[in-house]
Amino acid sequence: MKGIELIKKAFALQNVERVPWVPFVGCHGGHLINVTASEFLKSSDLIFKGVSKAVEIYKPDGIPVLFDLQVEAEALGCRLVWSDDNPPAVVSHVLLEGKTLSDLSVPSSTDGRIGIAIDAAKKLRKEFPDIALYGLITGPYTLALHLLGTDIFMKMLEAPEEILALLDFTKEVGKAMAGYYIDAGCDIIAVVDPMTSQIDPDSFEMFVHEPAKEIFDFIRAKGKLSSFFVCGHAQQNIEAMCATHPDNISIDENIPLDFVRDIALKNEISFGGNLKLTVVLLMGTPEDARREAMECLDLGGKIGFVLAPGCDLPKDTPPENIKAITELVNDEYLQQVERAKEKSETEIALLNMKDYGRVNKVIVDIITLDSESCAPCQYMVEAVKRVAPHFEGIVVWREHAIKKMEAVTFMNSLLVKNIPTICIDGKIAFVSKIPPQNELIAAIQQRINEKFKLIISSRRAEVLILGKNDAECKEAREAVELAMKETGKHISLKTSTDSAMKATFGVVNTPAIILTEHKIKARGEVPSVDIIKEWLKDI
Amino acid sequence: MEEILSKIAHCVEFGKVNKAAPYPPDMKGLDGADELTREALDSGVKADVILKQALVEGMDRVGKKFSEKKIFIPQMLMSAKAMNAAIEHLKPYFKSGEVQRKGKFIIATVQGDLHDIGKNLVKMSIEGAGWEVIDLGVDVKVEKLLAAIEENPGAKIGLSALLTTTMGNMKDAVAAIKSKYPNNEVLIGGAPVNDDFRKQIGADYYAPDPQGVVAHLNK
Repeated sequence: MKGIELIKKAFALQNVERVPWVPFVGCHGGHLINVTASEFLKSSDLIFKGVSKAVEIYKPDGIPVLFDLQVEAEALGCRLVWSDDNPPAVVSHVLLEGKTLSDLSVPSSTDGRIGIAIDAAKKLRKEFPDIALYGLITGPYTLALHLLGTDIFMKMLEAPEEILALLDFTKEVGKAMAGYYIDAGCDIIAVVDPMTSQIDPDSFEMFVHEPAKEIFDFIRAKGKLSSFFVCGHAQQNIEAMCATHPDNISIDENIPLDFVRDIALKNEISFGGNLKLTVVLLMGTPEDARREAMECLDLGGKIGFVLAPGCDLPKDTPPENIKAITELVNDEYLQQVERAKEKSETEIALLNMKDYGRVNKVIVDIITLDSESCAPCQYMVEAVKRVAPHFEGIVVWREHAIKKMEAVTFMNSLLVKNIPTICIDGKIAFVSKIPPQNELIAAIQQRINEKFKLIISSRRAEVLILGKNDAECKEAREAVELAMKETGKHISLKTSTDSAMKATFGVVNTPAIILTEHKIKARGEVPSVDIIKEWLKDI
Repeated sequence: MEEILSKIAHCVEFGKVNKAAPYPPDMKGLDGADELTREALDSGVKADVILKQALVEGMDRVGKKFSEKKIFIPQMLMSAKAMNAAIEHLKPYFKSGEVQRKGKFIIATVQGDLHDIGKNLVKMSIEGAGWEVIDLGVDVKVEKLLAAIEENPGAKIGLSALLTTTMGNMKDAVAAIKSKYPNNEVLIGGAPVNDDFRKQIGADYYAPDPQGVVAHLNK
C-alpha cells in the first residue's frame, strides 16, 4: 500500500496492516548529504536532495518538506542566528524593536525563505507522488512568542487583549502558510506549536483555541489533513488540543504515549510520536532504537497511530538508528523477536559463561525465535543439522528458542543481540545470515583444531612399571622406552617394586604397566560445579 | 505585623505587582507587593523579616505549585515580577548589610546556546528563595564563567543547555570549573540533560525544574 494511503487510513482511525512511519527529517537531511544546517535550510535544491536521500534510506510513509520553525518569524523581520548543527535561533523580536502589530502584514509565498520551502515542496511532490508530504507551519502561539519574545507570558495576564490581537495575526499567517504548502502539493499540514507546552489549559483555551481551530478548519475546507505537533511537557493541554479539532496530534517523549492515545482516540483523533530523540535516536545504538520503536508500536497499536520521532531529528542522528526503525516497521517477524526480548530484558540473571565450551565436544548453540514458526530460524537450524553428521560424536548442537525464558537468559549470557545466531562453544559465529555449508564446517573444524591443540598442550602422562626387579620387568621397561622413542613422546617413566603400590592398583601378576593421564582442566580459577560435572562425564 | 507579611506573601504567590496591576482579576484595585512592602518597612518591620517571612514564603508556594503543574510559566513570571517589586524596596538593606542573603549563585546558559527562558525561571526562583544571583546571560564562554567564580569565591554555579549540540559545551564548562574550583558546587538543568548526563560530566546536582534547585539549595 502507498504511504499516503496508509497514513490516510491511520488518520481515519481504520485498522492498518502495518503502522505508518514518518521520520521527522529536518536539518538531519543536511547530515545525510554532508552539508551544514545553515546551508541546507537555505537552499531548495539541498532540501530536495537531503529529503530525497531520507526517502531512499528510511522508506517513510510520510515526511516533512522542511522542519524549521523560524521561517515565518524571519519573513516577518526577526533576526536569526545560524548554526552548523541546529536550525537557526530567533534572537530579535520584531515587536520589541519599535514595530507594532499594525506594521506587520502576512508574508507572501516568496518572502524570506518561504519561497525556498514551497519550491522544495513542489519538487518533492513531483518526485514522490506516493508518500504523504507534510508541510510544517509555525503554530500561532510559538510564532507570537517569536514576534514578541517572552514578554508574551506576562502580557497574557496583564494585557490579554493585546495578545488576542497578536494571535489573531499569527493565525492569519498560519492560514496563509498552510495555503502555500497545500498549493505546492502537500497532503498534510502540521501546525507545530511547541511553546504551548509552557501554558496552562485555561490560557490555552483563551488564546490558542480559536486561532488553532480556525487553521484546522481552513485546512479541512481545502480537502487536506492536519496534525497538531507539540513538544515538551504539554500533558495538561492534550484535551484542549483535541478540542481544536485537528486530524492528528503528535507529541514527544515528555508525554506518555498511552496517555495521549487514550485521550486522542476518545476524541476520535489519530495520534503520533514519540520516539525518544536524544537518549535513544541520537545517542543510542540501532539496538536501542529498535527496542524503543517496538515499545511505541505496541503502545500505539494499529488504529490511529503514526510512528514518528518526538520532534525534529537532531542533525547528527546516526542514520543506522533510523534505518533500524524502518526495518522493524516493515518486518513483522523482527517485531516478534523484539517483543520476545523485551519481555525479560529487565530481570535477567546472567549465567556465568566463562567456562562454557570447555568440555571435549564442540557445542553449537542456535539462538532462534522458534524454528517452527520463523523461516530464517528454520534455515539456520537446518544448516546445522546438515553439517552435524560430518562430526558425529564430536559436535553437539542445541536450539534455544527465545520464546522460552531460559533461552532468553542463555542468549543474554552469550551477549547475543540478533536472531537467529549460531554460537560455537559459546562464541558468536554467525549472526542473522545463514552460513553456507562449507563455512559452517570450516568454523566447526577450526574450533575442533583449537580444542585439540589445547588438549595436547594440557596433557601430561606417566608410565609406571610394577615388577620385581627381574628380567621381565627390565624387558617391559625397554619396550616402553622404545615405544616412547618411536612415537616421540616424552613421558616420565617410573619403576616400582613396592608391594603396597601393587596392592593399590590391585595388581597380582607382574610386570604390570600403568599409564596415568593428567589433563589440566582449569588454571588459576575455581570452575563452577556444573562445569566440573561436564568434565566428569568425559571419564 | 503578621497580617501584612501574609498579605505580601499572598501578592507574591498570586502575582499581584502593585495597585495599578490588572492581574489577578480578583485583586483589582487592591494594594500589591510594591505598596505593601513599603508600608511594612515604614511601620518598622525589619527588611530581613519581610524577605524571609513574606517573599521567600510566597515564592516557595509558587515553586511548589509550578512543580505540581498547578501553575505555568505566565503565572510564575507574574509572581517573580511581584517579588521584584518588593525587592526594590529592600535593596538599600542588602547594601548596608542589614539583610544577609543566603549566598551567591552564578547562572548562565552555556556557550553556543541562546535559550534563556528556563535559565530565567531558575534565576527568579533562586532569588525568591533568598539568594543573590549573578546572571551571566546566554552563550557564555568558559573564561567568563571562571572570571565570575574568581570574583565571587564560594558561589554556587548553575548551567543551562537546551540543545543536544551544546551539551558538549556544558561538559567542557563543568570540567574547566571543576579543575580550577573543585569545591564550588555546579548544578545543571535544561531539556536534553538528566541525572545520568550529570554523572557523566561530573557536575554535582541535576534538577528537572526550578523548585528542584531551590529545594536542593535549602538543604
